[in-house]
Amino acid sequence: MPRFLVIAAVLFLSACYNAPDAGRSGGGSGPASLAGAPAQSFDVPRTDGRIDSLARHRGQVVLMNLWTTWCPPCRDEMPALQRFARENAGKVVVLGIDQGESASTALAFAKERGVTFPILVDEQQQYGRAYEGIGLPTSVVVGRDGHVVKGIDGAMTLEQMRAVVAPALARSAP
Amino acid sequence: MGARIAALVVAALVIALAAAQDLYPRTPLYHTWQYALAVAIGLVVTFAYANGARRGADGVLGKRLLLAMAGAMVAGVAGLASGLLGPDTTTIVGTPGTVVPVPALGAAAFFGAADADAIARASAGVILRRKNAGDVVLGPPAHRVVGESLVYLEARPAAYVDVYDERGAHLTVTQPTNTSFLSPVLLFRQRQRIGALDVPFDTFATPARHRVVRALYFTPSDLAQFNHASADMKRPGVVLTVADDAGKPLGITLAVTGQDVSIAGLRVRATIGAYPALAVAAAPPTWALVAGVVLFVLGLAWSALPQGS
Repeated sequence: MPRFLVIAAVLFLSACYNAPDAGRSGGGSGPASLAGAPAQSFDVPRTDGRIDSLARHRGQVVLMNLWTTWCPPCRDEMPALQRFARENAGKVVVLGIDQGESASTALAFAKERGVTFPILVDEQQQYGRAYEGIGLPTSVVVGRDGHVVKGIDGAMTLEQMRAVVAPALARSAP
Repeated sequence: MGARIAALVVAALVIALAAAQDLYPRTPLYHTWQYALAVAIGLVVTFAYANGARRGADGVLGKRLLLAMAGAMVAGVAGLASGLLGPDTTTIVGTPGTVVPVPALGAAAFFGAADADAIARASAGVILRRKNAGDVVLGPPAHRVVGESLVYLEARPAAYVDVYDERGAHLTVTQPTNTSFLSPVLLFRQRQRIGALDVPFDTFATPARHRVVRALYFTPSDLAQFNHASADMKRPGVVLTVADDAGKPLGITLAVTGQDVSIAGLRVRATIGAYPALAVAAAPPTWALVAGVVLFVLGLAWSALPQGS
C-alpha cells in the first residue's frame, strides 16, 4: 500500500508539470494605447539649438508629431500640420519631433517647406520609443494636465487634426 | 536512531529546497520534474517517519520531533505547490522607455530609458507601478517578492546603434519586424544557429538610405572561435550584414562595441552591453517558509530538552 501511494504521488506530480515558457515579449499596442497615461518628456535640442521638451509646454494643449524627412506620409502631412499650427496659434502648441536625424537635415527640410512651428531634433529617438510609434508619422495629443488624450498612428488631414484636438481643448479649458 | 537522523536530514533538505526558490530564484530548476520528485520523496520520507513517531515507534523523542516534521511538511508542500502548480516563470522583454502591463502582478512595468552609456554599463532598471501600492524599483541584482510572485531582472544582450551617412549626418534607425519600431536599441530577441553556435540576432533598417542591417551578437569567447585577426577578443561584437530594400547583399563586417565601422554607405557604431528583462516567477508564500522553519527549530529544541520536562 505505501509503495502504491508513492507511485501515485509521483504520477500526480509529474502530470502537473508544465515546461517553462521560453520567454515572452511584452510591449504596447501603438500610440492609441497610451490614452490617459502621463505624457513622457525628454529634453532635446530644437533646430535653432535651444533645448525644448514636451514638459516645458505643460498647461497648454499640445499636438506632438513624430516625423522624419525620408517618410513620404510625413512629408505629405506637413502642409496640413503647418496650417493647423497657424490657425490654432495661442490655443494649441504644435511640436514636430524629428526622429533620429541630424539637426541640419531637419532644418533644411523645415525651411524648404516653410514650417514655422518648433521642430525638436530627437536623434536618440526617445520620443519614438516612449510613445510606442509603430509607424511614421505618429501624433499625440497631450492635455493641459500633462496626460495623453489621444495617440494617432498615420497621417491626418487638417479636418482630422481639428477633430482630435477639439476634445482636449474643450475638456481642459481653463 | 539511524532512521531519526535520516528523517531529520531529509526534513532539513526539504525546507532548504523550498527556501531556495526565494533565495536563488534565477534557476529553471524549480519547474522541473526532477525538483518536484526530490521534494516529493523528501515529503514521503518525512511523513513516513512522522507517522511512525505518532504511533510511538521512536519513543518520546520521536513524538517531540513531530513538530519539526510538521514544519518540514508545511515548507515542502508550499515549495512543491509553487514549483508545480504556480505559473511558469515568464520573462517580459520591454523596449527602453516603454510601459508594459503585467496582469499577473496587477502592475505596469516601466522599462527605464537607456542611452548608449546605460546599455554599455547595463545600468538600466525597471519600476513596477501597482494600484494602491508603492512602486517597486528593481535594479540589476535585486529580486523582490510582490504578492505571491518573485520578480527579478535578467540581463539580456543589447546594443545601441548609431548610424550616420557618408557625410556624417545621423540617420533614423527603425526596426520594422519588432514592436519597437522607432527604437535604436537592439534586444536580440531572435536566434540563429551558425555551426555549433546559437547566436542571438536582431534586424534594423535605415530607410533614408534604403538599407536593412542584420546584427548577430557575439560574445568575446564566440569571437575567439572565429580567430578574426582584427577583432578585439576582450569585448563583445556584432557581425553586421547589410542589404538594400530589395534584399540584395551589400556587405558584411564585424563591429566591436564602441568602434565605428563603415559598410555599404553607412557608418555604424554599436555600443554593446545589456538591458534587463523582467522575470516573474512563482514563489512559496513567505509565511509558509517562516512557519516551516519556526516549527522545525521548535521541534528540534523540544527534543533536545530532558525527557522529563
